[in-house]
Amino acid sequence: MGGQVSKMMGKIFGTKEMRILMLGLDAAGKTTILYKLKLSNQDVTTIPTVGFNVESVTYKNVKFNVWDVGGQDKIRPLWRHYYSGTQGLIFVVDSSDTARLEEARSELHKIINDREMKDALLLVFANKQDVTGHLSPEEITQQLQLTKLKDKLWYVAPSVATDGTGIFEGLAWLSNNVKTQPQK
Amino acid sequence: MASTLPYRPSNENLSTNPKTNGLPRLSPAPSFIGRSPSGSHSSTRRTSAEPGTGYKPRRCKSQYPVDSSERHVEYILVASFHIDRGPIMEHQYPAAISGDESMLAELMLPDQTHVRSQDWTIFFLHKDTSGDDDEEGEVGKKKKKRKSKYRGNEEGADIQHENPDEASEEESSDDDEEGGEGPPLMYVLNLVNTKQDNTVRRGAVVKAMAICTRHSFLHIYKPLLLLALEDYFKSPYPETLASLYDAVNSMDLSLMPKMSILERHILQSSNTKEMFIEKFEQMIRQREEEEREDVECPPSPKKLSRHVLPRDTHEFESKVVYHDIPIPVKIPTVIWPETVGDFSLVKLIQTGPFTHPIVVLVNAILTQKRVIFLGHNRPSGEVAEAVLAACALASGGILRGFTRHAFPYTDLTKIDDLLKVPGFIAGVTNPTFENHPEWWDVLCDLPTGRMKISSHVESAPVTEGLLFFQQQNALLPNHNSHAHSDPTGDNLFMQDILRSIANRHGENAIRAKWRAYITKFVRVAAAFEETVYGASNLYIIGPGEELSPDSPTGQQTDAADPSSLRGHGYVWPDEMAKQRELSASVSRIEGWRNTRSYYSYIQDIAAMYFPARPIQRPDLHHHHDRLRALKLSHAESAAIYMALSHAVKDYAGVCQLLTVAPENQAGLFYISMGLFHPDQVVREATVELLDRIASHPAGRHFWAHLSRFAKLGYFRVKRDRDAAQSPISGAGSPTINNAGASFGGEPQSLVGVALGDSMSRRS
Repeated sequence: MGGQVSKMMGKIFGTKEMRILMLGLDAAGKTTILYKLKLSNQDVTTIPTVGFNVESVTYKNVKFNVWDVGGQDKIRPLWRHYYSGTQGLIFVVDSSDTARLEEARSELHKIINDREMKDALLLVFANKQDVTGHLSPEEITQQLQLTKLKDKLWYVAPSVATDGTGIFEGLAWLSNNVKTQPQK
Repeated sequence: MASTLPYRPSNENLSTNPKTNGLPRLSPAPSFIGRSPSGSHSSTRRTSAEPGTGYKPRRCKSQYPVDSSERHVEYILVASFHIDRGPIMEHQYPAAISGDESMLAELMLPDQTHVRSQDWTIFFLHKDTSGDDDEEGEVGKKKKKRKSKYRGNEEGADIQHENPDEASEEESSDDDEEGGEGPPLMYVLNLVNTKQDNTVRRGAVVKAMAICTRHSFLHIYKPLLLLALEDYFKSPYPETLASLYDAVNSMDLSLMPKMSILERHILQSSNTKEMFIEKFEQMIRQREEEEREDVECPPSPKKLSRHVLPRDTHEFESKVVYHDIPIPVKIPTVIWPETVGDFSLVKLIQTGPFTHPIVVLVNAILTQKRVIFLGHNRPSGEVAEAVLAACALASGGILRGFTRHAFPYTDLTKIDDLLKVPGFIAGVTNPTFENHPEWWDVLCDLPTGRMKISSHVESAPVTEGLLFFQQQNALLPNHNSHAHSDPTGDNLFMQDILRSIANRHGENAIRAKWRAYITKFVRVAAAFEETVYGASNLYIIGPGEELSPDSPTGQQTDAADPSSLRGHGYVWPDEMAKQRELSASVSRIEGWRNTRSYYSYIQDIAAMYFPARPIQRPDLHHHHDRLRALKLSHAESAAIYMALSHAVKDYAGVCQLLTVAPENQAGLFYISMGLFHPDQVVREATVELLDRIASHPAGRHFWAHLSRFAKLGYFRVKRDRDAAQSPISGAGSPTINNAGASFGGEPQSLVGVALGDSMSRRS
């Protein structure tokens, strides 16, 4: 009953639900972004994610169910189990960790080439823009070879997860571009 | 006989164990050899302390002998979450456990461990004991010792001097531990701690310590792991593991007596705290004698008093001394297969709006479906407990093969292996499993208590049994499904369970009820097979019995032998009720007939034939059920009482009778009704039977629980008999004719018990 009412409200006011998968190398800032989205005005300190985190965040009438999955290389093969039903991929990059950008590129292309991810939007957070020696969003775009992608809607947003800079702009891009089809 | 059935050994190991393959090839005769119906042999069973009678009780064996080469705990492991590399193994003691090290480390660091400071998990390892996959010499050697120990039990020279049922008791305990599909599982109890620490990179240290044991009571090690893991954070060296290893392996359980399968059955279904206390007394007496004989160590009064009897014989109290701290532990005396850890059936049954869905869950497990318990945002220990409880639920301590294919806690890293297992029970905390209905058949969401059936589940195949009952039902007159909305009795059963829980009868009572439920399921399945296929794999027919659903029950094959009473299997009040129940059970019985637990059960009844059924004829369970469920004529009930009195003579026989008349049902009530039979011969035979029961170590508790009304009936029959034998002395003081009392029981004690006077047996 309650569910039906909220579905109806959703139709009237255009509430959408979107399943988001957030991936990236370890220590890129995924969990900080997740909890900064969830608890916007609070300081967030995180520890390495064992397994995953999942939270719901409502922003601009879109309910985002965000899955944040641990990034250590040994556990990256598990990412594929989260693909099914994902509408948006947030890929988080530590813009200052230039040594591992090639590794990040390779992981990203593996993900988006998966059949189950072919319709997912791609949002890249060029994170840690406050750290000295960081690359700009344009440099990150180049390093990740995003311009090579065909039939893919993507966007690179600069961010500083620890103070929240840029993360809601990224979310806004996702909500503006998500197809209006309701999630099954 | 039953081998004509479409009996197919499962693809797993059935053929590797020729001893228990299929039905028993032994003739039933040997179990009677050397067993005198009364007198001296049986009286040696009386184990209570009676110095001066010149009688020496047979040695009571320990479940966990001091000189055993088996260690309580085989390995201690420590893993941590490395911030760059993920889960890694840090130390293993005393040697590296073989197998995939990173797989182990992943299991030791459950999903979302970073959001809670402490979490428990349980998982199982299928570690071969053959030693050929072990590189480490030490481990290999230990395994070989284990193997030879089992062989020693089977061929040990001393056994030949003992009587047959002692040998079969031996067999029973070993089969129970070893039977089924290969080596015993290695159970792993794991504790993981997450400590926030600003001095380290990324702000936290996550470490886990695990204990690997082949004993299913792994929960007793919880306090020790708490202490040892704390120590390990302070001193992360192998020495910390070693001191825990030494402490737990020094635990002394040697005074815990070994029990036969019938004794275990009686103990578990009884609430009497003193049940089989005689065995514990005897263990202590034997130990004291050994200590006296030991010249190296002269006896001191202090030493003798250090052995204390358990307050409740269901548990054995011991201690583990870790860093000079004695930590008390309680070990369950009775360990059934498929009972691992300290789960709670009560808790599982009370989870959310389950209740009737519990039966759905049991059916899913019995028919070997893929079952997942999901506990998002719950500690992984909680899902593990639900899995263990579900295994015990479906097993009832009778069926097996569930824990072997259970994954109390697992995660995405093991999904590929999990999906290779046909039919499993797994616990997870990751809600992504819910998004993959192709991975499971039934998903139980623990936080909400909802049960989901996968959209991928196929409908049940059309089987011979299904067609059979479709035809039957078409023939049945006035087939009205509304009149019998509960043909299997499942609703009634669940109501009874919920009532028991509401009345706080306790975990043990609930487990006993589930045991009865599974026992019934198997008996109904046997009747089903006989009805549909003409024979059953699930029941070994007694001597002189006909394998036919129309076997004339209640008639003697030998007119001179009352115990040759015919009839077997489950008893329904009438044929209609039987047809209804079998028809309603078609899909779960047919679904069960091709599963691992079905084939294991066939192996088990063959292997346990003699230990579990020292009396093959008559079928005690069947005829006791007839007393309970049917309106019998005097002649019919007379035949049953005479058969019971003739067949149940010795210690094991009384045990067997007690298992079909558990205290939580009606105890000896239906047997005692023989005291009021119109035929004097029947009344006196019942008195003799009750005498034997009352002087039996376990039976005396059943006798004590018998109503005053029945006891008065008992004394009246005795008085009448004595009066007839010696009319002069009259009926003033009842003296018990001891001819039938076969356990050396003193007449006075019986009167004492009967009058509610607690015997001062325990001096």
